Amino acid sequence: MLEQFITGFGMALRVDTFALMAAGLFGGMLVGALPGFTTLMAMAILLPISFFLDPVVGIPFLLGVYKGGIFGGSIPAILVSMPGTGAAVATSVDGFALTKKGQSRKALDMALFSSVFGDTTSDIFTIFMIFPIAYLVMQFGPPELFAVLLMSLVIIAVTSGTDPVKSLMMMCVGLWLSFIGTDPLGGVERFTFGLFDLKSGIPLLPMLIGVFAIPEIAGAAMRHQQVRQLATLVGERLSLAEFKRCFRTIVRSTVIGTSIGIIPGLGQVVAAMMGYSAAKNASDHPETFGEGELEGVAAAEAANNAVNGPTLVPLLTLGIPGDNVTAILLGAFVAQGLRPGPELFDQQGATVFAILIAMVFANLMFLVIGYLSIPFFSRLVMIKTSVLIPIVIMFAFAGAYVFRSDPVDLLMLVGFGIFGILARIGKFDVMPMVMGFILGPPMEYAFGQTVAMGNDNTIGFLFSERFGALGILMATPIIGYLLWRRMQTTVPG
Amino acid sequence: MYKTVTRRIAMAITGAGFALAATMGTAQAEYPEKPITMVIPLGAGGSHDLNARVITSIIPQYLNQAMIVRLTPGASGQKGTQEVANSKADGYTLLFTHNYIDMLQQHVENLPYDPLKDFVPVARVNYAPIGIVVRADSPYQTYDDLIAAAKADPGGIQMAHSGNWGALFVPAAQIMKASGTQFNLVPYKGGGPAMQALLSGDADITMGFPSTLGAQVDAGKIRILATAGNERMIDDVPSFAELGIGGDVGFMHRVVLAPADTPADVLATLNEAFTQLMEDKTFKRMMGRLNETIDLIDGPGYQVMREQQTVDYKALVESLTQ
Repeated sequence: MLEQFITGFGMALRVDTFALMAAGLFGGMLVGALPGFTTLMAMAILLPISFFLDPVVGIPFLLGVYKGGIFGGSIPAILVSMPGTGAAVATSVDGFALTKKGQSRKALDMALFSSVFGDTTSDIFTIFMIFPIAYLVMQFGPPELFAVLLMSLVIIAVTSGTDPVKSLMMMCVGLWLSFIGTDPLGGVERFTFGLFDLKSGIPLLPMLIGVFAIPEIAGAAMRHQQVRQLATLVGERLSLAEFKRCFRTIVRSTVIGTSIGIIPGLGQVVAAMMGYSAAKNASDHPETFGEGELEGVAAAEAANNAVNGPTLVPLLTLGIPGDNVTAILLGAFVAQGLRPGPELFDQQGATVFAILIAMVFANLMFLVIGYLSIPFFSRLVMIKTSVLIPIVIMFAFAGAYVFRSDPVDLLMLVGFGIFGILARIGKFDVMPMVMGFILGPPMEYAFGQTVAMGNDNTIGFLFSERFGALGILMATPIIGYLLWRRMQTTVPG
Repeated sequence: MYKTVTRRIAMAITGAGFALAATMGTAQAEYPEKPITMVIPLGAGGSHDLNARVITSIIPQYLNQAMIVRLTPGASGQKGTQEVANSKADGYTLLFTHNYIDMLQQHVENLPYDPLKDFVPVARVNYAPIGIVVRADSPYQTYDDLIAAAKADPGGIQMAHSGNWGALFVPAAQIMKASGTQFNLVPYKGGGPAMQALLSGDADITMGFPSTLGAQVDAGKIRILATAGNERMIDDVPSFAELGIGGDVGFMHRVVLAPADTPADVLATLNEAFTQLMEDKTFKRMMGRLNETIDLIDGPGYQVMREQQTVDYKALVESLTQ
């Protein structure tokens, strides 16, 4: 094993590996920064290129696109409150608040450093713990997934915003919205009112842009006489002292993100939200979260990037991809003649280690690329408001449209935009709604599977066979209550 | 060698460039003038996904356009199928599906589309015989052990499948019907998660295709109890016919369909591209690595098979749901 590791280390040190990885990182960052273009689309389009490259070059190239894309998504989230993916939602809360305070550069720096830290740590952890992780992955089936998703929703409801009752109401709205369309298990139509356009459900991106970006655009437009620019400054770079202040949060989020990455089917959205919630809960001043707290950005970004390492484990050890991104990587592996599966390590151990080690190098390289390009991006907020707002509106509509190329999505965007403005007037936090919407479908699916596995005796099945899931389910109300009490005592009013 | 690799990279980059250029400009030209989307109504990591990755990486050479895979799983494949049924019949949205979604589902549910009227076949790319799979440490050594256990404990054996009336569900239903047994059928989001459920012990049996089984069999993680068809695929594993499960059971045909009103010249272009693809050396090599067959049937040829399938599946569903 050690020998393979050392051989792999040598294999990864190639000029063309680094060159293509850098190209992937930069390209991924640009694509990720454009609302509507997802990292997944970029990877799918670029996948064929990797077919004709050496495995140690082609796969790091795709990983570069992936990692760059994830960070790219947080750029519009921080600068104009336009999260392009669910994973960037938690980042946008404090990130955009910082931008409004004239500290966009600091927020972007923090996002970059915590992303790179979270990612690198989880990659290194994955390299050394790949077989224990592979074992743990197997302990999670549908009942456990359901229990963890339910607990995540409860934690999000009680910790986000200041009023758990309002949060819970919004979450129920989100869950209901996620029910609209064709039922994923039985294929029954729900809440479609016979409208064809609702049959495939409500698309995520128009909702995200609608509830997060449109109210900010409207707000900025109404304020235009006082402020000539969204922010008058891009502010200072992140200082070492600030990074140190957030370091505990970054480490906590990295641990949370890595753990969540082990559970198949959860992913970055849950990680970012859990990291954010935990940071807010552990903080002595939770009231600053949402008002432009650097720790908030750090917590979300470290957590969602720390998911990356462990999600590769089922692919590498079993040949089973957990999501679309790993499925694309599987395609790249297979086309290279590397057959991911139990024997991959025995037969191609050095190559696999080379790829994993290249991932760590990709992170370090990204630190440089990101650091050099942030000053360029952060100047965006210096554009005059009268020019910036139309540009942002254009990107909002274009982004909502290119996602599915369906004109109905533009109506959805406007509808959710109005909803977002009304929610803001009524002091309802839209985050729990978005989380309910994103996490509802996987939770429902896992629930349906659990019922099927239990042969119509779900409770008995849980009690007799799934102690892990049962334990999580029983702990959920207790954890929810304790967090709620803590939030009540620390947040005045 | 180095030259061909460079050329292929150049071609792939050109394909990606086309993809980007076409999202920006809208100049009129001959089909295809922008990337073609191939919708897969199934989850990530299944055999359709893998097959499609190979197809879409090579076919751009013959179409001079990128072909992009879009996974649209949901509602047992209806979500993606419906999406294509309602897309423009201009050849830019194709469906990569299989015979069960295509021809069987119409007898189970009211579909928002009529498969025979709304789709026209472009090509059958290949077919895959299914195998019954258990873990290597499973007590079921043979197919007969499995059936005996299922008879002793009706509904007690957990069978992981990839969605109701999908590629793993139908053969299981056909076996249940042939043997007079009952499995507990648990849905998963595709063949990959179903296999993971088998390996983790959540499921007792599942079904799988050679393309996704090779690595697991070689590693001694799973055992195949039987494979579909008249002939044996693996020397010491019986075929379905030997076990008394006769007929067209457990064959999945991977087909490319287009919306019904797609112009004839567009279909001809696609047909030509698929014919050339099947002869492509890189394509053959990659499909070989996946243990997949290559067995092209053109659109009109497969249409005849579809019309027979609808009759057969109707009878199957009626006999099962009575």
